[in-house]
Amino acid sequence: MFFHIVLERNMQLHPRHFGRNLRENLVSKLMKDVEGTCSGRHGFVVAITGIENVGKGLIRDGTGFVTFPVKYQCVVFRPFKGEILEAAVTMVNKMGFFAETGPVQIFVSNHLIPDDMEFQSGDMPNYTTSDGSVKIQKDSEVRLKIIGTRVDATEIV
Amino acid sequence: MSEKGGRMFSLPTKTTPKSSLKSTAGKDDNSAKSKRGRKVQFGTEGSPDVNFSSPKSDGKFATPFGKGGKGEKAANGGKTHVAKESQSLELRVEQELPENVKCLMDCEAASILEGIQDQMVILSSDPTIKLPESFGSGLQYAKTGSYYTNPQSVRKVLQSLTKYGVSNSEICVIANTCPETVDEVFALVRSLEAKRSKLTGPLKDVLEELAKLKTST
Repeated sequence: MFFHIVLERNMQLHPRHFGRNLRENLVSKLMKDVEGTCSGRHGFVVAITGIENVGKGLIRDGTGFVTFPVKYQCVVFRPFKGEILEAAVTMVNKMGFFAETGPVQIFVSNHLIPDDMEFQSGDMPNYTTSDGSVKIQKDSEVRLKIIGTRVDATEIV
Repeated sequence: MSEKGGRMFSLPTKTTPKSSLKSTAGKDDNSAKSKRGRKVQFGTEGSPDVNFSSPKSDGKFATPFGKGGKGEKAANGGKTHVAKESQSLELRVEQELPENVKCLMDCEAASILEGIQDQMVILSSDPTIKLPESFGSGLQYAKTGSYYTNPQSVRKVLQSLTKYGVSNSEICVIANTCPETVDEVFALVRSLEAKRSKLTGPLKDVLEELAKLKTST
C-alpha cells in the first residue's frame, strides 16, 4: 500500500556545495540518496514530495563536512501482512510463481495455490484449474493476500 | 522437490522467524488476463481463510499445510483453527507504523506521482537528477490499480465510514480492491468482521456511491 510519511535523515554536505545554492544542493543530494531506496520499516521510497524542515548544520570535527538533519515528506510503498493486492505474474515454476506489484516482488508458493490448480510445464509454464477455466501464467493478473514480508538488502520480497 | 499439501518446506531456505515467506495466492480472485475473470462466492466466513491460515510467518510452513490445503469451498471443519490464525493476517498497519503516517489510496498515490513526474520534466535541466526505477513501477502500479476518476470524492465517500470505527488503512484497502458487494468487503478485510452488523448498512450505501464514481472499463 502507498503511504505518505515524514522521514528524517542526516545529510552530510561537502563544503564545496556551500554558498547560495546550499539548500538546492542539499535537496538534490537527498533525492539522489533516498529516492529508490528501501528499508524494512518504511518500505520503498517511491518519491519525495516535499521538504518539511532543514535543521541547523553541525560541523563534523576533523573534516569540513557539515551534517544537516532534514525532515522530508515522501510517498512510500510498503506491503503489509493481511493486505490484498493485485499483481502481475512474472515467472511460473513448479515451486510456485513470482509476481510484481510496483517495486515489490512477491512469491507465491505452490502450497498456497488452491489444490485444484495444477502446474503445467512447457513453453509457457502455468497453473491451470482442472476444468481449464482459470490459468495463471506469465503476465496474468492475480489478486492475492500478503502473508509475510522479507526485506532483502535493497528490496522487499 | 515440493509436493503439494505436503510437508515440504518451501523454498528459500531461510526460515528464521522474522523472514517469513512471501505471499499467498488469493486464490479466489485469480484471473488470467482479466481482472473480473472469475467471480468468487464468499459463502461462509470460514472459507476464504482456509488457504490463508497456513503460513503464520513463523517460518514453519510444514505443518499448517495439511490443514490449509483445501480448495476455496472447503469445509467449515477447520473453522476454529482458521479463525485464530487468520487474526494474524489482519491488517495491522496502524500498529506497525508511526502515528504520522497517512495511508494513500492507489488513485491518490497515482495523482501525486503523476504530479511529480510532470515536475521532473521542468527540473530535468539538471541531468544528474533522475527518477528511480521504483518510481516508474510504483506509478504504473498505482495507475493500473486505480479505477476511480476522482480521488477526492472517493475519499469523501469513504470518510463516512470512519465514524463507525473503520480505520484509515481499512478504508484504503476497500478503495484499492474495488469490491462490488458487501460480502466481498468483509471477506477481503477480515478485521471488519467484528463490526459486521453495524457496518452492513453503511457499507452498502458506500459501495453504491463508489460504483457511480468508477471509471468505465
